[in-house]
Amino acid sequence: MTVMARRPLVSVVDDDESLRESLPDLLRELGYSVRAFSSAEEFLASDCVAQTRCLILDIAMPGMTGPDLQQELTVRGQEIPIIFITALADECVRARLLERGAVECLFKPFSDTALFEALNAAVRGS
Amino acid sequence: MIRLLPAPHREPRNGAADDRAARAAPGIAEISATVGGLIRQGRPLPVVLATLCQLFDAAVEGYCSSVLVLDHTGARVRIAAGPGLPASHLKHLEGRRVSWIETPFGVKNKAKAPVIVLEPPADAPRESQEAAAAAASAFRLPEVSPILSLTGEPLGIFALYRHEGNPDVVRGHSALISQFAHVASAVIERMQSDEELKRSAALLERTQQLSSTCCFSWRVETNEISWSKELRQLFKLGAADVPVTLELIGAGIHPEDLPSFHKLIARARGGVSHFEFEHRIRLSDNSIKYLRVVAHRTRDQEGQLEYIGAVQDVTHRHDTEEVLAKLRAELARAARITSLGVLTAAITHEVNQPLAGIVTNASTCRRMLAVDPPDVEGARETARRTIRDAERASEVVKRLRALFCKKGTTCESLDLNEATREVVALSLGELERNKVMVRTEFAAELPPIQGDRVQLQQVILNLFLNASDAMSGVDDRPRQLLIRTERDEHDRVRLSVRDTGVGFEPQDVDRLFDAFYTTKCGGMGIGLSVSRFIVESHKGRLWATPNDGAGATFSFSIPCKPQDVRMIVTGQVRCL
Repeated sequence: MTVMARRPLVSVVDDDESLRESLPDLLRELGYSVRAFSSAEEFLASDCVAQTRCLILDIAMPGMTGPDLQQELTVRGQEIPIIFITALADECVRARLLERGAVECLFKPFSDTALFEALNAAVRGS
Repeated sequence: MIRLLPAPHREPRNGAADDRAARAAPGIAEISATVGGLIRQGRPLPVVLATLCQLFDAAVEGYCSSVLVLDHTGARVRIAAGPGLPASHLKHLEGRRVSWIETPFGVKNKAKAPVIVLEPPADAPRESQEAAAAAASAFRLPEVSPILSLTGEPLGIFALYRHEGNPDVVRGHSALISQFAHVASAVIERMQSDEELKRSAALLERTQQLSSTCCFSWRVETNEISWSKELRQLFKLGAADVPVTLELIGAGIHPEDLPSFHKLIARARGGVSHFEFEHRIRLSDNSIKYLRVVAHRTRDQEGQLEYIGAVQDVTHRHDTEEVLAKLRAELARAARITSLGVLTAAITHEVNQPLAGIVTNASTCRRMLAVDPPDVEGARETARRTIRDAERASEVVKRLRALFCKKGTTCESLDLNEATREVVALSLGELERNKVMVRTEFAAELPPIQGDRVQLQQVILNLFLNASDAMSGVDDRPRQLLIRTERDEHDRVRLSVRDTGVGFEPQDVDRLFDAFYTTKCGGMGIGLSVSRFIVESHKGRLWATPNDGAGATFSFSIPCKPQDVRMIVTGQVRCL
């Protein structure tokens, strides 16, 4: 429990099931504790919001989208560092999200190194 | 019913009364001169005819003459003149029906010798008939002569009334009566044609207003040009006395249309039978109007070459067409981009999702194996997931292939020239807007090929638009598109599209047809690879060669022997 408490919590929000399976394993390997959610609404309803040190967030999801969640968190005053992930490589969207304060926006498929660097930046920043 | 018989044509008998009347009769030349003068002065028809009657009444003592004119139906009479007759008497003749009956007597050289029957209106009240009878009682039944047109059509009646008690001398004057009737017919015809002319002029003016059309004539030898009032207004020429010259017209024509205008003038001077011309004019307020000119060759009275033409203001139609063409082009482009864009996005998303799983699982697996001791169980699980995601990616590709196969293709015998012509017609508007000059060199006899018309036309359209895009930045040379069809030595038909655009580097030739290879900003790079896929599924070949000069030539060839082509291959989606 003390070990878990020392590990920063990373929350993954993605409607893609295979990513919700694979990404937490990798994150644990990288030394984080992880919670995975299939939707933005599920994440907001959980008790993890306040503890989350970094949010890995899919852009396109049914219901509330990634950018919607980013805005909602800002409104609520929850400043969680966000790494966006997306299967649609669009530089314009990436630039806009970074402008709004996202730490990074990774295009799927992304390498573990790219993810690692983004996480370091996020956790260090916070 | 009053039956009026025509005056039979007889030579005057010798007799004292006849001599007296004949002496007073004016010559036909004198009558014509007097009447002609009145017509030239523009006096109204009743006045001229009344004068004619007065001349007769003065010449033949004891008689009153009148002129009855047929109305537009030709069945009833109107009183045109009868200055010596009381108004009440004239009134009972007004509107009476007239019948023309064949008779053996008649006017010389007229096959139809009429008997004129004036019938009172069926519904006329008894009192008016009685009054008419009373009014008529002061006169003997009239003698009449029909007034016939030059072509023998009845125009009216020249009717004579004898005052009761006066001797019947008229039979001696049948020649004179004929002469008066003849003059009357000339007057009536002239007046009617004037009226007709006025009516048709008014009609023409109204029609011109309604159809925004003006008219002109141009005598080629003398360069005399006459314009209708409307045409002057269209060109905003103020005073009517400003003479219209070719220079004046040229000054109004849009500078870009001037060369064609000069060419047209030269052609017209050569004596073409007909010309049509559409051009713009720039008015003093800098506004532009689109005019359509149509003219036909004719000869004027002196046998000189003359064109008579109409000018129609088609600005409104032109504006509408331009807007429509623009919309159509935008729509086509948007559809091209969005359908491919949407498709590409969907495919990218579907493929990237499992790829992300594969990469993440494989990364985790490697890390699990790298620790000491290795987490073999964890690695096995992530490897299993890697395989599962790879299978999922493969499923996506299979589904796409199924989607493309389902579209189906049709195989028909088609003429490449015709298929190409249709695409040229469709895309000409957009090509012209991009200032591309299109030239076609179609082989005269091209054997038919078997294939899917729509797919091949998509290829052709794609080649046109690519060429047009490649020339969009070219300003130092003409943007030319040469579209050529031919039959090659291997019994294939070939279409080549040659542009004068930016071209490509020789080392890039192999990459041109790769999916997603593009030199265009915003291009998907998918068009040429799809095109090559379509051509190859027709057992054909699509290739590109750099030109000796500027630009590139894209060509495809398709075998024309039907047995060479089986149905379109649908197995691969390598274009994607």
